[in-house]
Parts: sequence; C-alpha cells; structure tokens
Amino acid sequence: MTLLMVAILNFILFRVIPGDPSSLLLGGARISVTPEQIEAQRQSWGLDRPMFPDQVVDYLSATMQGDLGYSFKFRGRRVADLILERLPATVALVGLAQVIAILCGVMLGLYAGWRRGGAIDHITTGTSLALYSTPAFWLGMLLVVIFSTALGWLPGYGAHSPGAVSGSLDWLLDYLRHLALPVAAVALGLIGQYVVVARAAMSDVVTEDYMVTARAKGLTNGQMLMRHAFRNAMLPVVTLIALNLGYVVAGAITVEAVFAWPGIGGLTVEALNARDYPVLQGIFLLLGASIVVANLVADLAYGLLDPRVRQ
Amino acid sequence: MTNSSQDNVPLLEVDRLSVDYGLKGVSSRAIDRVSFALRAGEAVGLVGESGSGKTTTAMAIASLLSPNARVNEGEVRYRGKRLPIDDDAAMRPHRWSETSVVFQGAMNALNPVHRILKQIAEPCMLKLGMSRGEATARARELLELVGIPADRGSAYPHELSGGMRQRVMIAMALACRPSIVIGDEPTTALDVITQAQILKLLGELRSRLNLALILITHDLSVVAEACDRVMIMYAGRIVEDGTVADIFAQPKHPYTRLLIDSIPNPASGKRIIRPIPGDPPNLMNRPSGCAFHPRCPSAMAVCVTEVPSFDECGQGRVACHLHRSSQEDKVAVHA
Amino acid sequence: MSESTVRYSPRGRTRAIKSFLCQFLGHGGAQAGLVCLVFFLVLAAAPNTLVGPLQTAINATGDFLVPPSGEHLLGTDEVGRDVLNLVVHGARISLTIALLATVISLVVGTSVGITAGYYGGRVDVWLMRLTDFFFVMPSFVLALVITPVVLEVMGRGGDILGFRPSLFVIIVVIGMTSWAFVARIVRSQTLSLKERTFVDRARVVGSSNIVIMVKHILPNLLPQIAANGALVVAGAIYVETSLSFLGLGDPLQPSWGTLLALAQRAGAASAGAWWDLGAPGVCVLTVSLSFVLIGNALDDTFNPRRRVIP
Repeated sequence: MTLLMVAILNFILFRVIPGDPSSLLLGGARISVTPEQIEAQRQSWGLDRPMFPDQVVDYLSATMQGDLGYSFKFRGRRVADLILERLPATVALVGLAQVIAILCGVMLGLYAGWRRGGAIDHITTGTSLALYSTPAFWLGMLLVVIFSTALGWLPGYGAHSPGAVSGSLDWLLDYLRHLALPVAAVALGLIGQYVVVARAAMSDVVTEDYMVTARAKGLTNGQMLMRHAFRNAMLPVVTLIALNLGYVVAGAITVEAVFAWPGIGGLTVEALNARDYPVLQGIFLLLGASIVVANLVADLAYGLLDPRVRQ
Repeated sequence: MTNSSQDNVPLLEVDRLSVDYGLKGVSSRAIDRVSFALRAGEAVGLVGESGSGKTTTAMAIASLLSPNARVNEGEVRYRGKRLPIDDDAAMRPHRWSETSVVFQGAMNALNPVHRILKQIAEPCMLKLGMSRGEATARARELLELVGIPADRGSAYPHELSGGMRQRVMIAMALACRPSIVIGDEPTTALDVITQAQILKLLGELRSRLNLALILITHDLSVVAEACDRVMIMYAGRIVEDGTVADIFAQPKHPYTRLLIDSIPNPASGKRIIRPIPGDPPNLMNRPSGCAFHPRCPSAMAVCVTEVPSFDECGQGRVACHLHRSSQEDKVAVHA
Repeated sequence: MSESTVRYSPRGRTRAIKSFLCQFLGHGGAQAGLVCLVFFLVLAAAPNTLVGPLQTAINATGDFLVPPSGEHLLGTDEVGRDVLNLVVHGARISLTIALLATVISLVVGTSVGITAGYYGGRVDVWLMRLTDFFFVMPSFVLALVITPVVLEVMGRGGDILGFRPSLFVIIVVIGMTSWAFVARIVRSQTLSLKERTFVDRARVVGSSNIVIMVKHILPNLLPQIAANGALVVAGAIYVETSLSFLGLGDPLQPSWGTLLALAQRAGAASAGAWWDLGAPGVCVLTVSLSFVLIGNALDDTFNPRRRVIP
C-alpha cells in the first residue's frame, strides 16, 4: 500500500516538471536540437503516448520488474544498475553503525533506566539527548576536523586511498580505516536515539507490578533485570531498531555527503546537483521499499517477543 | 527453630511500626505505631478505607515499600527475630520462603511475556535450588492444587480469566511453602462468584498447609468469610482489633460500627445502605486527638484534644475514649 | 489528563495555569531550554542591530578563513565573511523556517486528526490511511524528492512573502510532510472527548459540527498539541538543516544548514576551520535540544502517569 503510494507519488512528481523530460534529456548538451531529434527522443522514451492510463501502467509495471529507467546524468546507464552498484557501500556503513549503536546504545539506555536517577543515568541521558538533537552529518564534520585534520589518525574522505590494489589485505584495512569515521558519525546519532528509547522503556518496566512480584519473590537485582525486566523493556526497542533499518539509509545520506562515501547518499547528492530525476526517483523508491520492509520486520519481531500480539 | 520457641513466640510481631512517605521534602505519616501479633495458621483481616495504611502495613511487613517510603520507628519480628525490612539484600532469603504475597490484579502482577508455569517454577529453582525438571513438576502440582489443569501451564497470563490469574498468583505464592501469605486485596477486581471461589480456595489451602494469612481489604464481608480475626485501620492507626464474631456482634469503635452498617445486607431485607458521613482524613494534615473525631457521631471534647490509647477491651483491643478502661461504665451507655 | 483541562470556572482555570507553570518550570531541562530559546529568539528578532546587515561575498570584512580573533569573534568563512554575522542572521532564517513549518504541520495535523476522530466511519478510514503513509515515510525523505521538483516548477527567482522561493518551498514541504504524528494523537484524543457529556450538551443546544470541533473539542486538545509542537519544531530544524546541507537551501538567505553546506563545499573540515563549521552546528544543536527539552517537560507535566506517590 505504502509502496504503491510511493510509486504513484513518484510518477506524479516527475511529470509536473515544466517542459518536457526530453528537453531535460537533451538540455545538457549545448548543441542545437532539431524538432525531429526531440520527436525521436519522445518516441523512444514513450512520452508521445497518453499520460493515462498508458504511461501510468507502463511505469508501474516497469517498476515492478525492477526497471527504474535511465539516468540523465550518467547517460544511458540504468538507474537500477547505478543504485545496485552503490548499495554495498551504504549497507556496510549503515550495518556496521547499527551493530555498534545497538550494542552501546541499548545497553547504556537499559542500564540508565534501571538505575534511574543515578550518576550514570544523568550523564548518559544528557549526552544522548544532545546526540539525539545533533544532525549526524555535523558530528561527521567535527570528527573530520578532530581525527583527520588535527590528529591525522584516520582518513576523512572517500573509501580508498589512491593506488590501493583491490583484493589485498592492505586494501581491506585501508577500506576499514576509511569506514571508521562515517560509521562513528552514523552510530553516534543512533546511539542517542537508542539510549533515549531504551531508557524510557526500562523506566516504565521498573514501575510495573510484575517487578514488585519479582522483588517479593526474593530475586536478586541481577535476576530481576535479566529474567523480568530485560525482555519487556526490549519490546519497544526492538521495534525501533527494526524500523530504523529503513530509516538509517535515509539518515546516512547527509553523512555520506560529508565523507564523499560512494554509497546511496553520494549518489543522491550527485543526482540532486545534476537534477537527475530518474535516479532520484529510483532512490526514493528504494527508501520507500526499505521502510516498508523494515515495518514488516518490526511487526514480526514484536510478534515473536510479545505473546500478547501473537495470533 | 526449636519447638519451645515456636510455642510461646508468635509467628510474626509488628511492634510500634511507623512509616513515612516523603514527597518533595514534605513527609506524611502513612502508618503510626501499628502493633499486632500473628500466630501460625491464623487468618487476620486488615480493613480500612483507601489511605488508611492497610497496604502500607502489609508492604512494610513484606519489605516492599516504595523508594520514597521510610520506616521511621518500630520493628517487625519473625519467630522472635528482627526482620531487616529496610535492607533489601538482607531480606532476600526471607522473601517468598517465609512470607509471600498475592497481589491485587494479577494481570499486572504476572509478567506478560512468560508462560505461567515458568513463573511459578521460577522461585522453586532460585529459592529452593530445584532443577528445572523438579521445579516444573512442582509448578504443575501447585497448579492442580489451586484447581487449574496442569496442562494450562503453557498459557500466557493474558490468555487466562481474572479468576484463573488470581489462582496462578496463589499457586505462585505457595511455591516455596511459606508460613505467611499476605493477600493484598486479592479479590477486589473479581466478580462476586469468582471472589467467593477464591476466598474458599484460600481458606482450604490455609487449613491444609497451616498458613498464616494477612488479608488486606476494604470489604468487611470478605473478612467475615475468610478470617478469624479482624483489625480495623483508620488514618494509619489500628483502631479496633478483635475476633470476627465479636466485632460483627458487638463493634466497639464508632467507626467499626459505621463500617458494618454500610454493608448492604440483602438477607435482612435492609435496603438502605448508610454511608459514613464526611471525607477520609488528609494524612498531610491529620486531625488532632482521635483522627476520627470530625466524622464521629459520638465525639466528645476529649476526642479533639487527646489521642486515645489502644487498650485491651474485653477479648480484643480498641482505641476509643468511649472505651477507656477507667470509664468501663460508659460502654453500657453507648453500646 | 483531560479531566483537569475541562474546567470552566475562571478561578479554577487560573489556579490550573499557575500550578502548571510551577510544575513546568520545576523541570531543570525546561529552564535551560527556555533560556537558550529566548537568547536565540532575541538574535533572530534583531540581527541587523546586533551584528549589522548580512554580509555577502561583496561586502565581506575579513580575509579568508581567519580563526577567531578580537575583530571577528567567530572567525571568517571561505570568502571572508564574518561567521558571527552569518550565524546571527542564520538564526532568523532557521527559526522562521522551523516555526512556520511547525505551524503548517500543526494546523494540518490537528484538522486531519480532529476531522477523522469526530466524523469517524469512512472519513476516518481514508484520512488515517493517508496519515499512515506520512507517518511511515520520514519527512526528510519526502522533502528530499519533493523539494527539487517543486523548485524546478517554480523557478528560483523572485521572492514569496519575503522569502526566497527555495526557503518558501522548504517551509511548505516540511510542514506538509511532518503532520502525521500530530494527527494521530489528536485523533485518539478526539475519539475519547467526543463521547463526553459536554459535547452531547453542545449538540443538544444545536451547535453545528464545526462549532463543536473548534469551540469544545479543540481547547481540550491544546496541551497535547503544545507538547508535540515543540517536538515538531525540533524535527523541522533537523530536516531543514539536512536539506540545506544537501544544497536545497538558498545561498542568498543562508540558514545554519546552508552555512554548513558552504563550509563543507569549501573544505572547511579538511582545512581545520573548526569555527566555520562549529558555530552553525552548535546553534542547531542548542536550539533543537532546547525544543526537545521543552517538549519533554510539557509532556511530563501533562502526562499524569508519572506520579511520585504510588
């Protein structure tokens, strides 16, 4: 449903651009264009046929088959190929950041909520609220200034050093070194979010009646935490993590822009600057799809963890 | 524990116990010098309005007071030994093995994400050191004991009815063979028929397992059904203590009398319920003297100025100026 | 919570407001947030009197990328403009965008939510389906594809209501894409409010649906809307900054995000010009943190679940 709306919005959006997509297509070339050439273009792109239903149906069926059209900027290249080519870099960045953020953020948040009002709680909550309100890309810029420019420890640009030979161990290490700062920027933003949610979830759980029961049963604090509080507190957190699978790709766009990371974000910026609408459309569809999938995953995960919503 | 000490020392003694709640630097007294004793196998009802301190008393005995509560004075003794009710870690061995609690509204008191069998078996494993298999077997036994087919053990709390959940709660409370069970309004959320069944079950289990029972309720009729003795609380103090038979036949404190009058009694054909006039007292600003005097139909001048002492009176005890031992003759006038 | 807001006697209302203010201002977070916010609002209100007119590449007053000094308290940027000057003017632009976008989003969200909740039935189903879409799709993603297209349609010249078109578009797009959360909350509150007797009373007296919604239901929703409004502002600042950073802002009316984009493009990070990128970033951080803190404090105050006495 949502995906269909994304596709339809896509279609409408990119038809309302004034003039003709064909003029955009040829516009980059500063040569005189004859009407015949334009007409030939229009035909080859199917723009001479009526908008509805032909173009809509064509568009939807093509989209279903993974045909997202052709890029304006990278002349003649298929949008789907462009996106697939860039996807691994983004997945590496976002995946690694997620893992780190889950490990640090969720644990810290749960602990802060468990020991609500303690010193660790105050420090953690303050820091994570600040991280939560900070745009991740700005964190990235700060990281570059500190660790790349001032200290010179880590590279702050691109994915590889020039002249690196693909496939070697050195190449991999070089890649990881380039990955470090972008991952840190994305992860820090996520940590802020996870701490806030995990803490809130845990402090709700702590006041539940079944925690009093657990205490009355004579369980130690550790047993109460692990056997009774943990799983209940994880319910909202797991949902958030699953939903984030869809959102972080979008969130990483700006971070990738800072580090010139050759992923989807980098592609987005290039497409934005060149007004390469088919590519932008494709990215929009990808983001929509990942969000829809993430929602499904969230529902499934919640069902697994919470017997109350299981059928 | 030796036999001799068991014979003459009560199972549980509460001695001049006072608890304050602190809220933003202002503290208010929830219970004030509450004293009573409980013998093995005895069932005592603790009755009062909301805010009368009955739940606070019970939670203090179980050492489950909320963090903003503080035991100000007094102590609780179990088999003659002082219970460390203000020390969570030191209380742990005592918990559930000696005193267990049946909470109000078992929906929230049971963990929603675990199967009930697991929740019943948990204290057996952790407190009695049973293996998983032994604990599960014991949990199945307990379920049967409270009248639930053992196969239902794989259910989650939300899949059971309110009465069933309360039975699960009771089974759980019996897991470590405690000598005292505290029932914190265990039947409040249930319909009348289920309520009667649960009370009956509690009564049976009590005589079979020789349990001492502390039943907290605002409902005198529940006490009449399930208890030997009843203590009436008002504004954080026990105002009357006596056997159920005595109190119903001859209530001494005016508050008790009003409470009994406010029970609807279809059998006697009495249709009109007489509510107690006035509002429950504000604990932040407790009335002087006897806290009940603003609402008391028989209030005297002395009630405003002097806190009545809690004295022996006949079989029980009462805290009322009408029944001071020196004024024994007055009883006849007002009874 | 609504019990406490359905009060009619003026004295009761004054007392309610007073106790609300006491409780709200008791939050350390709310105090800090309000102080920061007032500071930035002053900056935004009078940038010209504080730091003079907005500097451009033509009337820049310093050398390129000079570190902070007595003359330029926050240093200069890549074309020699005073960063302090830019940041103070940026406050006006960023805050205006965020606040206007929030107003749009609250108006849309409240209207959709109240209509869906009040009428129910098919209206509710379709409005909520629409809401779900906007709820699931992040405002940033939608704005990312809508903004360039709308800009293309409108062209970048001229100005609308005193804004450069790109800023105007950003305001409208953010406002139109971030209302779903508000709509959901307003709807669920409306559902419970419309069952209350005072609504029936109004209906019996013959008030029209619109009057009931605006005069009877809306006032009771205000606390919720206010608490969420603060969070919407924080979100709007985030989206605006991100969009501007990706080059969708307007260099002639630079917001903090645009300043960051310019700094990024000039390689301020690799040149070590921390002041150039630090100043706008700290502003974004402070303002959005302030709104988050205020929103949390409002939520805490209105939310009766958190009570100290058990």
